[in-house]
Amino acid sequence: MKAISSDFAPPLKLISPFFNAGVTFYLFSMLALLFFKPSFAYEQMDVAGWVHLFLLGFVMMVIFGAMAQLIPVVLEAGHVVVDVYYVIFPLLLVGTSLMVFGFWLVPSILPYGGLLVLVAMMIFAVENVATLKKTSIRTLTIDAVAWSNGYLLLGILTGFAIALGLSGNLDINIPLMLKAHVYAVLGGYVVLTIIGLSLILIPMFSLAHGFEETAIHRAFKWVITGVAVVFVGALSSQEWLMYLGYAINTVGVLFYIWQIYIIAKLTVRKELDIWAKSMIFAFGTLILSLLLGLAYFVSGIESILHASVWFLLLGFISSMITGHLYKIVPFLVWFERFAPLVGKEKVPMLHEMYSKEGASMMFWFTAVGVMIAGLGLLFESDILFKAGGSFLFTGAIFLYITMRKMLAYGK
Amino acid sequence: MCNITKEKVFEAISTVIDPEVGFNLVEMGLIYDAIVDDACNVHVIMTLSTQGCPLHQMIKQWVEEAVAKLEGVGTIEIEVVWEPAWNISMADENVKKALGGM
Repeated sequence: MKAISSDFAPPLKLISPFFNAGVTFYLFSMLALLFFKPSFAYEQMDVAGWVHLFLLGFVMMVIFGAMAQLIPVVLEAGHVVVDVYYVIFPLLLVGTSLMVFGFWLVPSILPYGGLLVLVAMMIFAVENVATLKKTSIRTLTIDAVAWSNGYLLLGILTGFAIALGLSGNLDINIPLMLKAHVYAVLGGYVVLTIIGLSLILIPMFSLAHGFEETAIHRAFKWVITGVAVVFVGALSSQEWLMYLGYAINTVGVLFYIWQIYIIAKLTVRKELDIWAKSMIFAFGTLILSLLLGLAYFVSGIESILHASVWFLLLGFISSMITGHLYKIVPFLVWFERFAPLVGKEKVPMLHEMYSKEGASMMFWFTAVGVMIAGLGLLFESDILFKAGGSFLFTGAIFLYITMRKMLAYGK
Repeated sequence: MCNITKEKVFEAISTVIDPEVGFNLVEMGLIYDAIVDDACNVHVIMTLSTQGCPLHQMIKQWVEEAVAKLEGVGTIEIEVVWEPAWNISMADENVKKALGGM
């Protein structure tokens, strides 16, 4: 019998700083969008600064906090040393801040920020691997956690090498190293983690049962292979190998989308709450991102690639995270503050713990902002991009307020 | 002679509500059986809507506490099984309607 554990759940005070900081960084990153132009090059330092503000400050920060809770659920075993998250948080917070300032203002502090982030991620990855060793269970989600942590380590090392290169301390081919770094972190860590956790979280929240899992197993194999091929291609300067890797990854993502379609068909819960809306938007923008990616390979037009990456980051990844925050955070708060009161006094339902109106405003402002700013990137229109950025910033304010209120609920 | 019946056990468990969906475990169809012997020892056979449920242990505890409120109850054993796997057809009509599964 499967025995999962409330006993392994880490305390809220350990996890909530990650979520608080994550939505704060998200707010800053949406504000910062207003100061960018829709035409740019990936090598620009200010663009790199924004990408790290968004990816490290928001995406990684929230994923790390969520993993503190989800790892025991997935592995059916407690963390080896859950207290390391108290160390990971300040390292990631300060490291990310230094890196962003390094990219934007003072390049010489980049390696210091990079080093702090490196240490935070090393601790995270090593603790995860040690916890993985405690369990004998083999599931796709566990394999995904293992592989994603391996890619995270590669991503960190290449990122640190870039930081040293930019500050003049290491002689490396930065553009190629950058491709290897982006692919290891985004494809290897973020996308693999999302694929692995999707198999647990999406059926759990949609109450879907009895579905065939072949597609997601194929997705997993294709994506881990594709990321490895791109990584090796980038480090060995073999462009054909990188294109092969992109193609393999595309097939993997298509299998993943197919799996989600299979789950969606069996979904019992038809209510269109903030989570369900976010999932629909996330997968819609993932498909859009893929189509634009294919259009870029055919046309070679740079702005199409920018729009494709935009919809992947701000559409798919961001919506997957924010949608799940409205499920995970109420649960964590409820578990800590209300579970002990069950049977003794009236306790709230999870959906009563956040403002539906606030969440809805967050969703619509964000969705409209993603689409308008995406068009701004596609057509290199400054007005459209700024308009989209304004919507996104407004949506971020609603996310920030609703999240703060959820975390303070019942205090 | 024990005066606790299977119906009384189900009634007691119907006070336990799943905080995620807002329905009690009985109307969700998660309680498969309740066996009561002559000494009023109760054996509840139940499932959960998902195997990855992080409230697994806690829900078992709530069910045990609900049954323990029955007067004269002996030992209580809560067994969580995964076969047959839960599906929406096991839930009451009001749950199916509310979740939109019908």
